Amino acid sequence: MGNVVDNEISPDDGVIVVKDLFKTFGKLRVLKGISLSVEAGKTTVIIGPSGCGKTVLMNHMIVLDRPTRGEIYFRSERIDELNEKELAPIRVQYGFLFQGGALFDSLDVFENIIFPIRQHRKITDWKAIDELVKTKLAMVGMEGFQNHYPASLSGGQQKRVALARAIALDPHIILYDEPTTGLDPIRSDVINELILKLKRELKVTSVVVTHDMKSAYKIADHIIMLHEGKIIAEGDTDYIRNHPHDVVQQFIHGRVSEADLAALRLGGTKFKTQYAPEDFK
Amino acid sequence: MLHTTGAKTVDVIANAGRFSRFVGRTCVGSMITCLQPKTYSLVWTQMNAIGVRSVPVVMVTGAFVGMVLAVNAYDQLAGMGLEERLGVLINIAVVKELGPVLAAIMLAGRVGGALTAELGTMNVTQQISAVRSMGTDPIKYLVVPRVLACLLLTPFLIIYADLMGILGGYFVSVIQLDINSAAYWQYSANGVELWDLSVGVVKGFFFGVVIALISCYKGFNCREGAQGVGEACTEAFVGSFISILALNFIFALITKAIYATFWTTQSLL
Ligand SMILES: Nc1ncnc2c1ncn2[C@@H]1O[C@H](COP(=O)(O)OP(=O)(O)OP(=O)(O)O)[C@@H](O)[C@H]1O
Ligand SMILES: [Mg+2]
Repeated sequence: MGNVVDNEISPDDGVIVVKDLFKTFGKLRVLKGISLSVEAGKTTVIIGPSGCGKTVLMNHMIVLDRPTRGEIYFRSERIDELNEKELAPIRVQYGFLFQGGALFDSLDVFENIIFPIRQHRKITDWKAIDELVKTKLAMVGMEGFQNHYPASLSGGQQKRVALARAIALDPHIILYDEPTTGLDPIRSDVINELILKLKRELKVTSVVVTHDMKSAYKIADHIIMLHEGKIIAEGDTDYIRNHPHDVVQQFIHGRVSEADLAALRLGGTKFKTQYAPEDFK
Repeated sequence: MLHTTGAKTVDVIANAGRFSRFVGRTCVGSMITCLQPKTYSLVWTQMNAIGVRSVPVVMVTGAFVGMVLAVNAYDQLAGMGLEERLGVLINIAVVKELGPVLAAIMLAGRVGGALTAELGTMNVTQQISAVRSMGTDPIKYLVVPRVLACLLLTPFLIIYADLMGILGGYFVSVIQLDINSAAYWQYSANGVELWDLSVGVVKGFFFGVVIALISCYKGFNCREGAQGVGEACTEAFVGSFISILALNFIFALITKAIYATFWTTQSLL
């Protein structure tokens, strides 16, 4: 894996290959020329500040969004020009964890998890399905919640149920959009272990978007850092940890830049409000 | 000025194109669904959600329409000594026009609003993307069952509205205004033909489909946020409302032409 951003990428370089991807929404240019490849059986982690386009990039990997320009390949086949119907058999091979969970709120947890199974197979053995749902829920620490509706779960619980749904069909490729955000440190680590276990035991290829550097270091084989719609650093954990670029160092150490501090000082002007603190005594 | 007009026109045409494609895909999806018994349960669920709970609203609408017609028309007819023919007037108006149209408008508000809000929220919270991400066609899974449910149910709801309209008219005419009951029914039976009733009910199929298609389309294409969902609901209702009235007008022209080719028009009074 080269340390320079490689523009001469070929469709056979990985399971998923993104070539020179540009995406604009109206006037907003979100992705400005992304090329990357995801290696089979490895975990690729995408990091980057909020709003830099990580979710948009992830959506392109299963063509939920169409590129403004650029190409996307899956197992050497170009997929960004396929229509929805042709994409279906490809999407079935993926598990996709949405940043917001995206659970179906009219279905309970059990029905949510069997949704992907039900869409593509005829269920005859309900006992086995019960078992399967139980094991998937246990993997994310949500056993016993089968009959709850998403609205009655906390954000972190919804996220974990969504993860259980994403792995319901035992996909070979799983895309996780911020799997540990909103979870407590122990739960986060359980998810990290889950991702590692899936890779070890089932040779799952994973792409993980995260802000959580601890998690990134633990699970990543390869880290890609996005900044303002471009890849500014790419390499293994050690390479990223010791990357000379200021922006990278600031991001991985969670340090505030001088510019941000200056903005905070400017915003520190006090406004007179109608009420003074003593009014509340 | 010219620029904005041009941009608006392009927008309208693009939107019409998108809507046509949506309708096309829904039609194809509906036909496939009809051939797949395993998807019937989805339609059945929607029929329960959409239909059963609409019955009271539609019945109330029908009853009031019948009663108001009786109250208003009575004086006119009584002035000419024709009050016994009140039944024809009420019943033909209820069965042919007011029952179907007002029931449909009621449904556009009640069902259409719910459909747009539900699908709009699903869109905003990425649930529609989630359906796509699992290799399922959201049109087939979400839109088709709703359209089919509306298609199958609206005619029945219209029959309920008609029935209540007739009873409401009867109640005011015979019980309150003291018109002879036998004469009331006699004139009604002679004046209202099976044709009139069928026209009203057949309209229901079209109204139902139009309501469901517009509402689902608006839900699928709603903008982000609570405000986006709200706007989509309003647009869906206004769109359905206008479409129902326009469709009704077209129907009146067509059915009149058909009627005139096969039968001669008779005077009601
Ligand atoms: N459908 C859309 N329409 C318009 N703009 C969009 C759309 N989706 C994303 N954007 C814009 O693209 C930019 C990147 O969004 P994205 O969700 O990819 O950020 P992100 O890197 O995932 O951030 P976070 O870490 O906060 O999730 C944002 O400025 C957002 O406003
Ligand atoms: Mg994101």
